[in-house]
Amino acid sequence: MKTSRWMEVVNLCLLFCFLGGGLAYGAEMLLRGFGAISTVQAFKEFGVVVSPHWQAYAEDFISFVNGVGRLYLPVIVGVPLVFLIHFVAVGPKGFEHKGRRISFYGLFTRFLHWMCAIFFSLVVVSGIMVLFAKALGGGSLVLSARGVHLFCAYGFMVFAAPLFLIWLKDMFPAPYDIKWLLCGGGYLSKKKVEVPAGKFNLGQKMWFWLAFVGGAVMFYTGYVVSGLSLPQAQIAGYIKIHLILGLFLVALFITHLYMSLFAVKGSLKSMISGYKWEEEVRVLHSRMLK
Amino acid sequence: MAGVANTWGYGAMTNSMNDIRHSKLVFMLGSNAAEAHPVAMQHILYAKEVNNAPLIVVDPRFTKLAAKATDYVRIRPGTDTAFVMGLVNEIVTNGWHDKDFIRKRVAGFPEMCEIAKHYTPEVVEDITGIPASEVKRIAKLLATHRPGTVVWCMGATQHSIGSSNTRALCILQLVLGNMGVSGGGTNIFRGHDNVQGATDMCVLSHSLPAYYGIKDGSWKHWCRVWDVDYEWMKSRFHSKEYMNKKGFTLARWYQGVIQEDKISQYTPIKAVVFWGCASNSQSQYHKLKKALDKLDLVVIIDPFPTMTAAACEKDNVYLLPSSSQYETEGSVTSSSRQIQWRFKVVDPVHDSRDDYWIMGQMVKRFGFHDKFYKNIKKVPDDITRELCKGSLTIGYNGALPERIKKHTLHWETFDVDSLQAKGGPCDGEYYGLPWPCWTETHPGTPILYDISKPVAKGGLPFRARFGTEHTYWNGRKENLLAAPGVYNPGSQVKGGYPEFKDIVPGTNWKTDLSQKTIKVAISRGMAPFGNARARCVCWNFPDQVPVHREPLHSPRPDLIAKYPTYPDKKEQYRVYTRFKSEQKPELVKNFPYVLITGRMVEHMGGGAETRSNKYLAELAPKMYAEISTRLANNLGIRDGDMMWIESPEQGKVKVMARVTDRVDDKTIFMPFHFGGMFMGQDLSGNYPKGHEPYCIGEPANICTNYGYDIVTQIQGTKEGLCQVKKA
Amino acid sequence: MARMKFLCDIERCIDCKGCVIACKEGNGVPVGINRRRVITINQGKPGERSISIACMHCSDAPCIAVCPVSALYQRDDGIVLVNKDVCIGCGYCFIACPFGVPQFPKGDTFGKRGVMDKCTFCAGGPAPNFSEKERRLYGQNRIAEGKVPLCAAMCSTKALLAGDGDKIARIFQERVARRGTGAKAPGWSTAYK
Repeated sequence: MKTSRWMEVVNLCLLFCFLGGGLAYGAEMLLRGFGAISTVQAFKEFGVVVSPHWQAYAEDFISFVNGVGRLYLPVIVGVPLVFLIHFVAVGPKGFEHKGRRISFYGLFTRFLHWMCAIFFSLVVVSGIMVLFAKALGGGSLVLSARGVHLFCAYGFMVFAAPLFLIWLKDMFPAPYDIKWLLCGGGYLSKKKVEVPAGKFNLGQKMWFWLAFVGGAVMFYTGYVVSGLSLPQAQIAGYIKIHLILGLFLVALFITHLYMSLFAVKGSLKSMISGYKWEEEVRVLHSRMLK
Repeated sequence: MAGVANTWGYGAMTNSMNDIRHSKLVFMLGSNAAEAHPVAMQHILYAKEVNNAPLIVVDPRFTKLAAKATDYVRIRPGTDTAFVMGLVNEIVTNGWHDKDFIRKRVAGFPEMCEIAKHYTPEVVEDITGIPASEVKRIAKLLATHRPGTVVWCMGATQHSIGSSNTRALCILQLVLGNMGVSGGGTNIFRGHDNVQGATDMCVLSHSLPAYYGIKDGSWKHWCRVWDVDYEWMKSRFHSKEYMNKKGFTLARWYQGVIQEDKISQYTPIKAVVFWGCASNSQSQYHKLKKALDKLDLVVIIDPFPTMTAAACEKDNVYLLPSSSQYETEGSVTSSSRQIQWRFKVVDPVHDSRDDYWIMGQMVKRFGFHDKFYKNIKKVPDDITRELCKGSLTIGYNGALPERIKKHTLHWETFDVDSLQAKGGPCDGEYYGLPWPCWTETHPGTPILYDISKPVAKGGLPFRARFGTEHTYWNGRKENLLAAPGVYNPGSQVKGGYPEFKDIVPGTNWKTDLSQKTIKVAISRGMAPFGNARARCVCWNFPDQVPVHREPLHSPRPDLIAKYPTYPDKKEQYRVYTRFKSEQKPELVKNFPYVLITGRMVEHMGGGAETRSNKYLAELAPKMYAEISTRLANNLGIRDGDMMWIESPEQGKVKVMARVTDRVDDKTIFMPFHFGGMFMGQDLSGNYPKGHEPYCIGEPANICTNYGYDIVTQIQGTKEGLCQVKKA
Repeated sequence: MARMKFLCDIERCIDCKGCVIACKEGNGVPVGINRRRVITINQGKPGERSISIACMHCSDAPCIAVCPVSALYQRDDGIVLVNKDVCIGCGYCFIACPFGVPQFPKGDTFGKRGVMDKCTFCAGGPAPNFSEKERRLYGQNRIAEGKVPLCAAMCSTKALLAGDGDKIARIFQERVARRGTGAKAPGWSTAYK
């Protein structure tokens, strides 16, 4: 019943914002007489009791929702396009499978990663379906996508929490990360120059923080929005955060896919087996061996 | 109602809901029409808006009605008589009374003034808590806005001096000359759509149908109507004495079982039938429950299992599912005496049967079906016809079923303002043939005691019911018939006249089944019941003129000494009823708060029906008690907390606190619609499986106090004391 | 063409909730969903006023502006309706609505919201008039029968007016003129431009 309590406290009539309080006040003064003030006063009070900020947020919200929807398509199309160009121009990095096999991910870590991956992917895909609901014709298809979105969000949070703790200690920024950034992570050329990175490079760290912390924020904002149990103005704020952060997450999600599937050969295998070959580690995670 | 009937003849609403549209002032005392009579509100608000009528609301609680008032007066519960007599005194003192009206149509005025004199604004302030200046202001409003109407409900009647309250209000209207005029009158709103009809048909223990008092003559009259042998009828009673003895009332019948107060009946009560009656609307409910568990047989006839069904913990209950109003048909009489036909919409669903069937079967099994069904071939038309034939006192005889149906089917031809049909098949008649409807061509009487219209067109004088002459306590003798010059247009007698009798030898207008007496009277332009004065002094009442008496359980010990209640009544409706011996000044020490009950708009009566409706249960799911912000803070109770409310009779209920400024710091308010709980115990398991209501709660009446009206024995649920504790 | 509007006269509304029950019973609205509700201010104090609110069927309705799937649409007579076959239950309309009108029943999976439900002005929905589907999804279609919405028809004090905007404005103006107060109809300056 919490929701309906809110609903009760909803906006009515804000005469004074629209048509000018002065005018109405003047009328009120004129009409003072038998029981006269009551009505005018009551109108004012209805406006104050029930969320009085509608004028302040609604217009903004309407244009935001309509605007941000248009940003997703460029991201979904644009980011893969950039990587396609990279793939064609620079090509993937391949490493020889020789030397030591270095243990990178434990069994539990890998299990958690893949559970997170499944749920996260579903969240992203279903989320995009909701965003492009109109193209899909709306209705039950998108409604079930919303169901998947909600369910998978819970699923992701369950597996993401332990994974976050396992990886946390390797994810703090280090001074050499700046160098990594300056050389573009070594991805801009085919040469196998040692790039400065520990177990995880800056790119991975960024993804880690965004996926886990951002994911948590997405979860919380989504949770609030799904409950509709706050004042509309606040929910509008949560929706904004959800949609903007979502945009970044989608972009980095695509990046992660590209890196693991295409840019670094064997990276997918390493997440399955848990081992990376020495050469790869020497080049991409040079600090780890020192 | 007794108070009203004893003032001018009939104990019913004198005008109609629609007629309030013509009022220049609406004075509402002890009524929360906004919750109890929402539809009447359109007329009340119309008067307020269109006539600029002040809407004066007198209530201990700032009700939803008070929210619409122009003048709200907060009164201490149980002090209505003092306030109203104070108004009367103020009006008379200032010479604002309608002298001409009083001279011609009112009896006992000087004697009444003598007593009203005591209630000066200052005295009224002390008793009622209403500032003296406010009393003066309201009196002035009443005097300057005529005609004004007076509306009251249970808030005025459910007191130990309830009949005095109603009398005082009648006197107020007489003094203002507001009787018998459009826009005036005493408009007593009844609680259900058919309460007036039920009362007319005698859901009362002290009369026969249509207010024929229980006397040999009345029995003989009805036996003639029913075509039943009088001697046989007599043989059905325990003895002749019991044939004419007033029965137990709804308020105290359970004493006939548990006998905590001495009863005057040869045997205790052994069986009870509840027919569409919610026992949880009766005060002292915990005692009533004791009776339920002691009875040999409890029969409950209702569409839903009531609280009564859940309260019986002995295996003595029979539930007979009756159909709802949509599954049967028949006539209903509204508050404003208008009769309407209710048509059947669907056949009774499930195993339910309509009330006629149940009644018929019962009579058949008792073995006297043949005796009572002689005139009844078609149900319910012939039943209506039979009761019309016999109910001459209140003029049902013109309201034949065909006429009622015609009105209902052509209701669009009636004017909302005057209730009169303009053209169409009912041209000139008033909607629903408001009784008295004297003949088969009579249009009905929309406003009682209106002498501006001929009797044949719906006019009437005051009824000559109390003799033709009376000598008051001060030795003054007064002629009780109306003064010369007071008559309905076309009347052959240009002044007062007694009731008609002996037109058919040995009968009067009430008992002449040939209706010749009534027809003769009408043809002479005269009222069958005579033309008399309304009484300010009612010599057959314990208080001939209403005076203030403190409630039995009063929060003001000092006033108990000054205004003590009546002596105990040894035999009142077959049971000893305590007054004086119950009035204890020290009670307030342990029970410091005043407890009042009332209605809420979402529920109805005992709530069996409305609490079984999912939408209504959703809107009002919980039993609660209203407590003022200040009192709640003093007791450390927050809104939504549970608290115990305890009565001096060891009744207690656990209810949710609703902190609100509707009530003042000394008053607790509870709605009485809830049931299914009993002193903190959940009884929902006692309902037949799957028939529990959607919401249950404590019956407020467990806490309502001892106290009954001196005349009618109506329960005093709008006064009494309680204690509040945080649960 | 007539422009359909609601108007609640707060000097008349007595908080009897007859409109709420009429709407729920008449349209078979599930418990927990309130197409119409009554709000009270200053309860228990002088100045207590109540108002019955449902969808106002705004001109330039904000809900239509934010609906990502265009499930919401406005008829020529101004009535705003939702197509429940298209609605995805996103809740944006609830945020955008100045009157808190859109209602969302709990869906089947994980308590996710179902499709939006709101007052239809008793005009049914996009399903064929008087069809079983229309009755089930949207309730009665009294407008097609030439009747006013149930809530207004049932209003005990005639506080709630519904129908042609010009006509009900005239009725209200007459009342205002008679009592000399409150020339503004609640919500109108927000709902109708």
